[in-house]
Amino acid sequence: MIDRRSLIAGTALAAGLPRFAIGQSDQRPSITVAVQKISNSNTLEPLREQSNVGERVMQTSLWEGLLGRDYANRLRTIPVLATEARRISDSVVELKLRQGVRFHNGDEMTAEDVAFSFGNERMFGPGGPNSGSTIRVGEVNPGRAGKELPIEVPAVANRSFPGFERIEVVDRYTVRWINRTPDVTLEGRLARSGSEIGSRRGFAEAATWLDWSRQPVTTGPYRIAEFRADHSLTLVAHDEYWGGRPPLRQLRFVEVPEVSSRVNGLLSGEYHFACDIPPDQIAGIERNRAFEVQGGTIPNHRLTVFDRNHPVLRDARVRRAFTHAIDRQAIVDSLWAGRTSIPRGLQWEFYGDMFQADWAVPNYDPAEARRLLREAGYRGDPIPYRLLNNYYTNQTTTAQVLTEMWRAAGLNVQIEMKENWSQILERSPTRAVRDWSNSGLFSDPVSSLVNQHGPNGQQQQVGEWTNEEFNRLSVELETSTDRARRKAVFRRMLEIAEREDPAYTVLHQNATFTAKRRDIRWKSAPAFAMDFRSGNWGA
Amino acid sequence: MLRFFGFRLLRAAITIVMVVSFAFVVLRLSGDPAQIIMGADAPPEAIAAFRRAWGLEEPLWLQYFHYFGAILSGDLGRSMRDGRDAIALVVERIPATLALTVPALLIKLGLGIPAGITAALHRNSFIDRAVMMLAVAGFTVPSFVLGLLLVLVFAVQLGWLPSGGQESWRHAILPIVTMGVGGAAVLARFTRSAMLEVLGQPYIRTASAKGVPWRAVVWGHALPNAAIPTVTIIGFMVGSLIAGAVVVESVFSWPGVGRLLVVAVANRDLAVVQCILLLVAATMVTANLVVDLLYGALDPRLRQRTA
Repeated sequence: MIDRRSLIAGTALAAGLPRFAIGQSDQRPSITVAVQKISNSNTLEPLREQSNVGERVMQTSLWEGLLGRDYANRLRTIPVLATEARRISDSVVELKLRQGVRFHNGDEMTAEDVAFSFGNERMFGPGGPNSGSTIRVGEVNPGRAGKELPIEVPAVANRSFPGFERIEVVDRYTVRWINRTPDVTLEGRLARSGSEIGSRRGFAEAATWLDWSRQPVTTGPYRIAEFRADHSLTLVAHDEYWGGRPPLRQLRFVEVPEVSSRVNGLLSGEYHFACDIPPDQIAGIERNRAFEVQGGTIPNHRLTVFDRNHPVLRDARVRRAFTHAIDRQAIVDSLWAGRTSIPRGLQWEFYGDMFQADWAVPNYDPAEARRLLREAGYRGDPIPYRLLNNYYTNQTTTAQVLTEMWRAAGLNVQIEMKENWSQILERSPTRAVRDWSNSGLFSDPVSSLVNQHGPNGQQQQVGEWTNEEFNRLSVELETSTDRARRKAVFRRMLEIAEREDPAYTVLHQNATFTAKRRDIRWKSAPAFAMDFRSGNWGA
Repeated sequence: MLRFFGFRLLRAAITIVMVVSFAFVVLRLSGDPAQIIMGADAPPEAIAAFRRAWGLEEPLWLQYFHYFGAILSGDLGRSMRDGRDAIALVVERIPATLALTVPALLIKLGLGIPAGITAALHRNSFIDRAVMMLAVAGFTVPSFVLGLLLVLVFAVQLGWLPSGGQESWRHAILPIVTMGVGGAAVLARFTRSAMLEVLGQPYIRTASAKGVPWRAVVWGHALPNAAIPTVTIIGFMVGSLIAGAVVVESVFSWPGVGRLLVVAVANRDLAVVQCILLLVAATMVTANLVVDLLYGALDPRLRQRTA
């Protein structure tokens, strides 16, 4: 929810930035940022590119939503292209649009652009929201002909906005979000990835959907000069930006897959920033006083996930033993140099009222783990642990440490290296333990606990885990408008999924690190997004 | 001659079919493209929609049948990542790769062959040992290690050259040298061995005994006879012009066919992988064909045997 304080802060920021910009000279710097990957899908459309790497280049620089996240203040929901979000009812939110916002093509953003952005043309396809229809690639030929959406775009849109009915245009600067069902999370959903606003004319003028997705016309402080898939993305200042003249003349992201190449490029002065630095490289880089590594936790937690169909894991006591046998602090201290933290279960502080401040992950108690195993009658049968080679930062080393911790408690866990997610998730008798990470996509537990572990979440969809009470509560959490009740429901769901009948156990919060020259005054956000707006440059 | 060509073309076609079929089966059995391309956190609906859209729910044999039919009709398919024609994606990367591999090939030839000949002609001398020491070093150091070493020296320490990227001709120098040095080392070793073997032959002694100048003996008798193993290696090098820079392109962030192949394999982007493999197989087969012809030109005995 947007509170009065964040609304005032957002408005003050918007009013203050243009004045600051007037005093700037025209000699703005151009910078180059080395990243591991620019976009997994080779597009810059958030509805297609739902990834951390995409968030880095798209959020704050290119795309903006009506509401967004305050990257300087613990990711609270704040107004961005809207100035006000007002509840008309449990299923309707009225939004006042910021006036004078210019797209990269010079057009002013109006209610029509908002209606387009949440419309069938860009988001849901011809069937409309929740039509459930799927168009075959062979029939529509996406990318080659016309504006037909790739098949996954409507699927992502329907998942992101499950109760969405339509946008009602009230006047040029006012819209109403109409939901089919009551939903207290609408404001959060309006701030999530996928809800950004694009230019209706920009879309109409693009020859194909692929053209649009590679050169979208948006409102952000930088516009696309050139996008070379798998190579580079060059953005240039959008001087009519509503939030003030951007501080950089050019912002260039280049794809450098190898860590050592990114670091070498930084040290040789070729890149100003090098992203995705593994924790074990931080000390080496900072040994040179001219450079520093910034960054820290992001809204994404690393988990160990259980398949309760595995004969050994059918007994919840064995899974609980797993959760108690992990010395999470040792992992954070030794593999992350203490630069991340152990969260309070699968939740984040930006959940606001829903955050369970007194909740915690299971305590490290090997004796309790051994007791549970004795009680369960576990006799040392091997338990497979399917593992990818460092898909996540420190993944393999963490797995090796975990395996030893579990072994110390009496669990015979055996690592099985896999090459991709398909092999990890393959249904077979050897599926038992695996790694995963979950994100807080917006300011409510629906975005994580229900989204990933609920009846329609991945874990249940792939058949690893289910719990009748948990599923009943999931529905209640999604549909109830009683905030006190929702908080109690969320608590009970955490108890089930993390303690009684563990579906997963949280290991630590994920973190991302960015190396840069020390004399560049810039602050990393608690997210993948890199903020190059005037408020965060030279500060 | 027609039979010679016909046999080799048939062999080439069978090779290409085998490569494509093997790649299809291996890639499809080792992972579901939908799950891989959509990522670990993709909504199940999106993954299901993707599978349906690309026909991944059909039995494997039927997918193979459709795929092969499309290839025969000249359609190499589209990238599952962004829907573009696979052939267009690959073709647009070829110039970048050739910009590295062709100059690197020239370095390999220009350095490797003279070095091998020199070492052979000065067998067991200081020159021979020095050349072979360098050749062994160049041969055994993996290209990613050599590349990083060159970056460390010439980009980080001296600041003479850029460490990666593709913005100017200067960006190509380090990757070209990295590939060139390794290949030159291989050629030097092969050329030396071949030369030493030939130099020990009776006809060389006879030519020398007849009073033919040593230079003429080397150029007229030794080199043509020593060329066959060297030409074989050069054939392999020419055959790998298209996709022979996978590692170097990754180390130097060079957006060529090699990088595309790595990304496509990782994503199980079948059409793109197959397209690259087809091109590689075709290049390799063509190179082998040319090598076969060169054998005949270099050694009349082989020509007669074929005839």
